[in-house]
Amino acid sequence: MDCPETVGKLTEILRQGGYLADRGLATALFVALSLQRPILLEGEVGVGKTEVAKVLATVFGRKLIRLQCYEGIDASQALYEWDYARQMLHIRALSEHQIADTDAVDKLFGPKFLLERPLLEAVRAGDQAVLLIDEVDRADDEFEAFLLEVLSDFQISIPEIGTIKAATPPLVVLTSNRTRELHDALKRRCLYHWIGFPPAEREVEIVLVRAPGVSEALTRKVVTAVNRLRELDLAKPPGVAETIDWVRTLDFLGETGLSVQVAEDTLGAVVKERDDLDVVRDNLEEITSGA
Amino acid sequence: MPEHAPFVGVLADFAAELRSAGLAVGSGDVLTYCAAMTPLDPTDLLDLYWAGRTTLVTRREGIGVYDEVFRRFFLGAGDPVRELLKIKAQVTAETQAVLQVPATDDGGEGHPEEAVLGLMASDAETLRHKSFTSCTPGELAALRRIMARIRLTPPRRRTRRTAAARSGRALDLRRMARESLRMQGEPAELFWRRRKVRLRPLILILDVSGSMADYSRNLLQFAYSAKRAAARVEVFCFGTRLTRVTRALDHRRPDDALEDAAKAVFDWEGGTRIGESLDAFVRDWGRRGLCRGGIVVICSDGLDRGDPAVLAAAMERLSRLSYRVVWMNPHKGDDANFRPSTLGMMVAAPHVDLLLSGHDLSSLEELAALLPTMS
Repeated sequence: MDCPETVGKLTEILRQGGYLADRGLATALFVALSLQRPILLEGEVGVGKTEVAKVLATVFGRKLIRLQCYEGIDASQALYEWDYARQMLHIRALSEHQIADTDAVDKLFGPKFLLERPLLEAVRAGDQAVLLIDEVDRADDEFEAFLLEVLSDFQISIPEIGTIKAATPPLVVLTSNRTRELHDALKRRCLYHWIGFPPAEREVEIVLVRAPGVSEALTRKVVTAVNRLRELDLAKPPGVAETIDWVRTLDFLGETGLSVQVAEDTLGAVVKERDDLDVVRDNLEEITSGA
Repeated sequence: MPEHAPFVGVLADFAAELRSAGLAVGSGDVLTYCAAMTPLDPTDLLDLYWAGRTTLVTRREGIGVYDEVFRRFFLGAGDPVRELLKIKAQVTAETQAVLQVPATDDGGEGHPEEAVLGLMASDAETLRHKSFTSCTPGELAALRRIMARIRLTPPRRRTRRTAAARSGRALDLRRMARESLRMQGEPAELFWRRRKVRLRPLILILDVSGSMADYSRNLLQFAYSAKRAAARVEVFCFGTRLTRVTRALDHRRPDDALEDAAKAVFDWEGGTRIGESLDAFVRDWGRRGLCRGGIVVICSDGLDRGDPAVLAAAMERLSRLSYRVVWMNPHKGDDANFRPSTLGMMVAAPHVDLLLSGHDLSSLEELAALLPTMS
């Protein structure tokens, strides 16, 4: 599917895919799509950074290729790897006469023995793919440096085969939780958007879209309570994902309101830090009031 | 697209305005901004705002600055007459040839104070044990030069990354496949990979309150030297609130760096709220993994005005988040049997792995010597 013509149309398409993007995010994605630039999304935990990529892949009918970053990730896990075990077996199986043949060696480093990793897969798929580079801040700076080449030219050089280049680049979404500052060079190559917590009204809408079937009255109560939680001085304020979890939990238990007792029993869905639990328990009365 | 030219001029002006407000906006970014506006509606303020924000701002801290400049530039100049004038001025400016003479850089000579590097050995020896508070400005300058030579080496840790090695736990299959190819397919030799080692991050948290001011200026200098010596160093200052000065210390010239850092800190020689400041550190930076596996060095006398319970909780979490916690208390002095007397120190002591003094040069050297052994 082609890039939509206006920001409004993109917002509508995303909404059909079950994602409510505000004007800022929609504009950022629209620009990323039309300029074919990678987009870096930062924001609080659980505001739907990863979800954007998934929904984009679904609504545009593209393949989602996900690269989860972690410390020590390197070229052989992100780009490509030769299947060495098979190569060695293959070498053993060749007779001395065959191995002298140059073709045999060429075959050894041919597609048959090449293991595709996410980045190579994405470059090959081109605009048929959405590449999600998740939590790029978890990888170390060595990896970032090498990501630069892929993100600016969308090409990968494999010495034995040659350079593979994407005719049209895939849509690249990077996410970061800001556990460390990303390098400027990487940011320069990306568009940047910060996703904050949505306003209460919108959050209710989001919950109703993501968890169809739950009652609107219950959702409103939970959103009010969660917004009060965010005002408390918590180490980890609950994100939208936590709100959805909480509503689902309450719905599953057949609750229709949010009393102090019910809230305390289900607090594990929203507050996931021991120190925070103490703070929240002390203020539970106030948080659930009016709900 | 010539009919767009005046508009591009406005966008470029806007970018220049952002640049002078302190955002790092390159010409490439302006190009992207203009390109981004092509499919959008340039008369729509919202499009103008969001396209600019997504292309010109690269970190969250910049958003506030961007908002302010945007408001001033596009909304403040609300009257169309001024807008028109701006466009007109831009057009006329473009038609005139402008000769620009690049400003000459006086970097060749260097700073006079830095150029004088002669330090007498005997002077250095007496200075080494003189407390920072009793030093004259001249002596302090000499001390700073010695400090710049202290090399801080944090302990190492093993990473998840591997490198080829003589021996190890995992086989280097890639290399073996290649070598066996040379040997007609016979895997003749075993090659190994082993996990690499890397320096642990070092985090300095300096007290710049009134009771510590004499020491902190030198500690800031020390932090600057440390930042140049070790690969991953983060520096924070606190009095009543916490400020990150790591970026301010990124200058090549120490005086510029220290000046920038001093400007970044608002509460020099004010009161102390160690508990709140450390709590802010744990909350805003520690939890995001800044000090994970790292060595945290806190320089403070422990004279806390705040609630000791907050300090205790913050210290406990800090010690859980980081690898080792070092506390440098200048009031310890050279006294080997020093017992913490301030309430803050007493509360923090159980979570501190190593207590040093940091009141003179030799104690800083002691830290430098102890650091690599802290694994």
